[in-house]
Amino acid sequence: MQDLVNVVTLGSIYLLFALGMSITWGTIDILNFGHGSIFMFSTFSAYLVLAETSLPLLPVVLIGVLVGAAMSLLIQVVAFEQILKRAKDKRTAEMQILIGGIGVAIIPLAIAQHQTKSNPFGLSESSYQVGTWVIGDIRITSIAALTVVVAVLLWAATAIWLKRSRHGLALRAIGVDAETAALMGIDRRRLALVTMAASGGMAGLSGVLFTYSLGAITPESGDTLLVKAFACIILGGVGSMLGVAFGAYFLAAAETVVLTQTSGSWVEAVSFGLIFLVLLLRPAGVFGRKEVRRT
Amino acid sequence: MIAFYDTNLVLIQATLSGLVLALAIQVPLRMGVFSFAGAGSYGIGAYLSAILVLRQGMPGPVAIAVAVLVAAVIGLLLGLLIFKLNGLYLAMATVAFDLIISVIAINGGDLTGASTGLYGVLTDFTTGQMFALTVLVVGLVALSERGRMRRRVDAVRDDPELAASLGINVRRYRLVAFVVSGALGGLAGGMNVMVRTAIGPLDIGFGLIVLALTMIVVGGSRSWKGAVIGAVIFTWLPDVLAVIGEWQELVYGVIVAVAAVFLPRGLYGVIVDLTKWLGRIRRKRRTGGAEQPVDAPESVEPERVELDNTLSREQGGEVARMAAQSEVS
Repeated sequence: MQDLVNVVTLGSIYLLFALGMSITWGTIDILNFGHGSIFMFSTFSAYLVLAETSLPLLPVVLIGVLVGAAMSLLIQVVAFEQILKRAKDKRTAEMQILIGGIGVAIIPLAIAQHQTKSNPFGLSESSYQVGTWVIGDIRITSIAALTVVVAVLLWAATAIWLKRSRHGLALRAIGVDAETAALMGIDRRRLALVTMAASGGMAGLSGVLFTYSLGAITPESGDTLLVKAFACIILGGVGSMLGVAFGAYFLAAAETVVLTQTSGSWVEAVSFGLIFLVLLLRPAGVFGRKEVRRT
Repeated sequence: MIAFYDTNLVLIQATLSGLVLALAIQVPLRMGVFSFAGAGSYGIGAYLSAILVLRQGMPGPVAIAVAVLVAAVIGLLLGLLIFKLNGLYLAMATVAFDLIISVIAINGGDLTGASTGLYGVLTDFTTGQMFALTVLVVGLVALSERGRMRRRVDAVRDDPELAASLGINVRRYRLVAFVVSGALGGLAGGMNVMVRTAIGPLDIGFGLIVLALTMIVVGGSRSWKGAVIGAVIFTWLPDVLAVIGEWQELVYGVIVAVAAVFLPRGLYGVIVDLTKWLGRIRRKRRTGGAEQPVDAPESVEPERVELDNTLSREQGGEVARMAAQSEVS
């Protein structure tokens, strides 16, 4: 039972993180390799603020979300928009964005590594104390409960927004055919900025919540999570909201099984192995529809 | 010269292995195969040759040869599995492959030395041999960038359907990319472990992919010269940047980011553009201001050019060639 609680908590962290990557990749075709850096650096910003003054939970979360959104917007404007403007076709643009994201991600990482000397940092200066509830023989921390609730609500809200609202429709239209969407009067640039900001905010949110529940993270934590989030998205199918949730909880479950059955150091291989298996057996993912060919 | 060589021996060795590693990622990229598997092959090559030397007492060069062969075969098997994937999917599958190799290295127990890695790999492999091998490899790669071979590779990358319709076996080319990448990566890893005498899981993680990629992105991804420029810059830059002191990591990051966004063809692309531009200015001066777009002779109408009597020798030849062609057609 305790394992199940852990799976749900871990899966919710993965979901929050992967959701941000999934909405940009599934709609505006941006696989943002800076996402891990945003995750880490917004937490790091909160940590810096907390070194000055002690704050309760809500302002800390807010700092994380705002810094994440701001960083994501900045990357979109200075890097990805410039790449898209210059690239001659979609395929080169995709690869350039991947490489550009890796390049941009080095900068916040370098700053954080310099400031912390690559040591772990946490949010323990916050006035919010993580509580623990014990029901029978199950332990649930308050932050774990909060993470699960936030992740599920945010995921549902995003899914409904994409499915039901006019903006969501416009965004999905871009994902299917950007040119036709533009002809229908959709402002691609503005929607892309909104999407990137939302994605960055989710990265910041997941960073703060993850750090609260784990105690501390290292500047390099973002990189590992990036590959795991990729596994979640691939597993469920790119662009599928149901898929990313399935992927996140499935990965968490698989990792927990491996963690409890083996000595522990094979856990990292689970996500990499999953990526491999899915790409080989079912490249479109479990819930993915066949990709629309546009050539 | 000798004093310089002695004080900078470690950097020279790092440049050579960095260059071969960069080529291991660049060669498939040039064929349109977006594979980072070279970094994983580097890990295979480094660990396997270290194990062969430590456990079997093999001489250094033999161990490297075996490691290169094995890395190439694993490259082929990986290629057979995933060569159908495209773009980002292929990139991420190969990243996963690289990271699996490092997880295996951590979990290898005594064989791979777990998280401490392997050390004390002492052999008779010299820097001279390393230099010779690197030159040989670079020469081979350079050959593939000339003449028919270059045109075929370009076709496979830019338009696989067209290439197939011209009778080029695209599948075979893509598989060759995996094999070459595996062999080059294995060679880079093997050589590096011989001269550095140690290898650990941290040396072959995500950072290695980023390093190889930054070398190519900043140097230039379309030519071996770009890989050379990148390898030299990123091995020597930390030393130069030591002047800036504690912020060198940040400067490094900014350079990579700017190059990735604004110089898609890298520094080598900038150099090519500059020489073209300079050449045009010089030609302009020689022809008294009447610029001839020599880059694109096809767009020049022969009749008009013939009226211009300030043609250079080469341009004259070009006109004659075009005239002959139009006669044939």
